[in-house]
Amino acid sequence: MWKSLRAQAMKPVCVLRMPRGPDGSSRGFDPTSERYLALCPTTISSSDSAVDSATFVEEQKARTVLRERYIRSLLAMVKKDVHFTMYERVKVNAVFGASDIDILNFQVSDLQTPLGVQKEALIRCPDIISYSFSIDAGLKD
Amino acid sequence: MAMRQTPLTCSGHTRPVVDLAFSGITPYGYFLISACKDGKPMLRQGDTGDWIGTFLGHKGAVWGATLNKEATKAATAAADFTAKVWDAVTGDELLSLAHKHIVKSVNFTQDSGYLLTGGQDKILRIYDLCKPDADPQEISGHTSAIKKALWCNEDKQILSAADDKTVRLWDRASMEVVKTLQFDTSVSSMEYIPDGEILIITYGKTVAFYNALGLDLIKTVDAPAPINSASLHPDKDFFVAGGDDFKLYKYDYNTKEELESYKGHFGPVHCVRFSPDGELYASGSEDGTLRLWQTAVGKTYGLWKCVLPEELVSENSDTLYGSTPEIKA
Repeated sequence: MWKSLRAQAMKPVCVLRMPRGPDGSSRGFDPTSERYLALCPTTISSSDSAVDSATFVEEQKARTVLRERYIRSLLAMVKKDVHFTMYERVKVNAVFGASDIDILNFQVSDLQTPLGVQKEALIRCPDIISYSFSIDAGLKD
Repeated sequence: MAMRQTPLTCSGHTRPVVDLAFSGITPYGYFLISACKDGKPMLRQGDTGDWIGTFLGHKGAVWGATLNKEATKAATAAADFTAKVWDAVTGDELLSLAHKHIVKSVNFTQDSGYLLTGGQDKILRIYDLCKPDADPQEISGHTSAIKKALWCNEDKQILSAADDKTVRLWDRASMEVVKTLQFDTSVSSMEYIPDGEILIITYGKTVAFYNALGLDLIKTVDAPAPINSASLHPDKDFFVAGGDDFKLYKYDYNTKEELESYKGHFGPVHCVRFSPDGELYASGSEDGTLRLWQTAVGKTYGLWKCVLPEELVSENSDTLYGSTPEIKA
């Protein structure tokens, strides 16, 4: 009994805050964290330029084509209905608005969720497994 | 002045936490992984308990979880008959290794090249992570479900504990058993300390320390209640234990004296581990939480702040707060 009375009388150690819990909206593994950026480059690293310069130039050309094609695909998606397949068996539709410069977030409108339609939303790209849209589809204003 | 321990509660899991493991110390600090019956193991920053991410993919309770030293890979063992290997930086599932029954334990070699698994089918398996499609090497011998399997002696040997009340030491090259320890009751947990080759085994109310190379008994300590898990401090001066009475006990390893005990969890303690720097220990419980406890109560470390009397009346004091008293049922 004495031990617990003494314990109650002692001052408790102060804490700065409680440990942060899951944010509820994603599976975490923040791609902007120091560790992620250091250990997981978001692009496939290109060959060392010291390698055979002809191969290097060809590789750079291919990268340019692919990059431009991808950026144009994003432009083609604006105001179109896009179907997203995400982790945890989530499949949602939304109207695509824009991407941020690092292709880490997509701004969408009218996100159809089981809880209702979210007028405006941000979808975190690392949470997306795949997405598809029809190039010929009409625009959704 | 002696201070009262303020444990840090990490919430997020929705079912009992049954296993936890720390990584080594990396340039980004150290990390903690927790295995939970809700099927969603979580990665946390080791010194603060802050959630980093959840490994999504298992379809059943996760019974075992581990990290490699560098915290770049994680492995989990689950009731969905798979062991999975994950990228611990991105959270992506790298490999799913199918088994014939519930998997209970996973352990990486020092170079993260091989994964050891053990579970209800009583067979130890060694997977070469560079050749994941190849069949694993299999070691049979146990007559009941394997609870825990660990690499030891610089990955040249394997230690396994099973429900057949034995702990066995195996030679990896020959795949033969080197020594068997027989107990009267089931072993509840096993921890291996490479530095010093010490093995900690818990069974009933006993915490037993063995030399891992020859399985020679060093000493035993009896606790007031059945113990489910124990961990030895890296400096080998203290050990902590937790079990069915919901409490955490701290003992002097040399004198075997009980130094401190803490209430806090609302259910049996299933696992307890010291951090790699020994500054804190983490406990996982049936109540679904992880708690972080200071080794040196009152020291400034992680989220704990040593507040001197004069600081308490300063303008900045509203950012600091003591714990609210625990409700003791």
